[in-house]
Amino acid sequence: MAMAAATEQYVLLPAQGLRAKGRGTTPGAQEFLMSVGSADRKGAVSLESGSIRIKVVDSISPDGAKLLELTPDAALAIRAQQPGLRLVPVVYYTPAVAPPMQIEEHHVASAGAGTVSLTVKSKDKSPVAGAFVVAFTNFAARAGAQGVTDANGQVQLALSGAGTKLDRVYVYPVTPHWSLLKKKVTVTSSMVMTMAPLDLGYTDGLRHFYGNPDLAAGAGVTVAVVDTGVAAHPDLVIAGGANTVPGEDPNDYGDNGQHHGTHVAGIIAARGQAPTGLRGVAPGVTLRAYRVFGQGSGSATSFAIAKAIDLAVTDKCDLINMSLGGGQPDPVLTAAVEDVRAKGSLCVIAAGNGDRAPVSFPATDGMAIAVSALGRKGTFPASSAEADDIAAPYGTDKADFIASFSNVGPEIDLTGPGVGIMSTFPNGYAEISGTSMACPAVTGAAARVLAASGVLKTKRDATRSAGIVTALLASAHSLGFQAQFEGHGLPEPQ
Amino acid sequence: MASSRFVLRYQGEGTKPDADVARIRGLGDCSIVDESSSRLLLVDAEETQLRELVGSMPDWVLAPEQTFAVPDTRKRVQRPPS
Repeated sequence: MAMAAATEQYVLLPAQGLRAKGRGTTPGAQEFLMSVGSADRKGAVSLESGSIRIKVVDSISPDGAKLLELTPDAALAIRAQQPGLRLVPVVYYTPAVAPPMQIEEHHVASAGAGTVSLTVKSKDKSPVAGAFVVAFTNFAARAGAQGVTDANGQVQLALSGAGTKLDRVYVYPVTPHWSLLKKKVTVTSSMVMTMAPLDLGYTDGLRHFYGNPDLAAGAGVTVAVVDTGVAAHPDLVIAGGANTVPGEDPNDYGDNGQHHGTHVAGIIAARGQAPTGLRGVAPGVTLRAYRVFGQGSGSATSFAIAKAIDLAVTDKCDLINMSLGGGQPDPVLTAAVEDVRAKGSLCVIAAGNGDRAPVSFPATDGMAIAVSALGRKGTFPASSAEADDIAAPYGTDKADFIASFSNVGPEIDLTGPGVGIMSTFPNGYAEISGTSMACPAVTGAAARVLAASGVLKTKRDATRSAGIVTALLASAHSLGFQAQFEGHGLPEPQ
Repeated sequence: MASSRFVLRYQGEGTKPDADVARIRGLGDCSIVDESSSRLLLVDAEETQLRELVGSMPDWVLAPEQTFAVPDTRKRVQRPPS
């Protein structure tokens, strides 16, 4: 006899506030919330796909927030068919107590510690500059040495010298090469790591799942990239944007030196053609760049992000890609994300790279689309660092997996390819992995779905954004993972 | 009293009202760092006073400013070699 799926507690809320009279709640969402309120406490609630059974544990008023018990699959069904409502897992708060003392090993370089020179070269023997080299003497303890290669491809590592045993060596290039992972390496006096160049015609994860679309794919949809800025690149057309970092030129939305936003932009909308260029998922979109990271800075403030979100809505962006997160829940950012919905658009947000940690804020917001990272064996070299990202669970097709770094949880709405993704970089191309890459893959797919639907022609209000969510989730197909890993699955535009 | 940096966002219709901004500006030990957004204010202020004022302004939300790092999946060394 099949076992009944376990139920979990969720809170069903209007888009804004706790009662359905708010300006961000659609009439259909109000009606559904009232119908749940009138159901008996173990009542059946009707959805277009049929009835689901839920238990109404508590309610603050007939049109107010409800505490429900239901299965994860039922939660997915409600999210898909009532996108104008928030359905969030119940969070139990515990007293904030100091963490127990932890004994931490303090590894000190041995008395004879010296410096080891390592050279990173391409297959054609040319030096690979700017590569981040990480050499672990003890990977489990994360002990070792790291550095960045110079113009000659050389890096000096604070290791004991020749004969030192290394658990692992990772090399992460910023040039068109695959990353590299070597295990069980013995240090020599003339260590050389040889990197495989990127072949832009190679079928990486993005091209495996989304192919090589027509240049018009996604036309009519305006997409914002809220990130580190986007560099001028032959494969990219940037329609405009803004820099929201206080004290900086508001018109400087170019790459800030971190390159992350340029890579994200290419995944959505690169217009090149292999083997000399790359193509994104929706090259026909109108792309706008909003830089929220300061010049040369690796951090962005909540003020800059909130301002960028508001500007993107003012600029009539339909989709707002946010490959960022990880902070504390923030009512200002939450308000900005929810206002996006009230004004007819949608935020697509990366779930975070915490190695199976809970979904990061702001992807946790029920009014945004949270994206996990999907990988596929055979879409990156076995010698690359991406081989490290392979982990259970595997999909119906056993080559598919949810990346080991991806955060997961009940907030996940969709998954997208995010392991070993080739895209645009200042002055060229590079491959990176992360939910940051999965997120724009889903944004690009969403743009193609929307371009083929009539929803973008409607008035910019909460009903429009609910229509965007409905169309996007309806395009998704399960790859065979549990809901906490893939949500509704991979969006697959026609 | 020590001041900290906060982000305020106007949730009402239209742009943030000048009168509200004037009330915030008039708070003792409060300086507005950035008011270029139509809905946002970035301020340095003493938290208790600011929360008390914003609590009387129902169309505003308030949060301490926080920072977000560029996401990265690269492995990193956390301690010297063993």
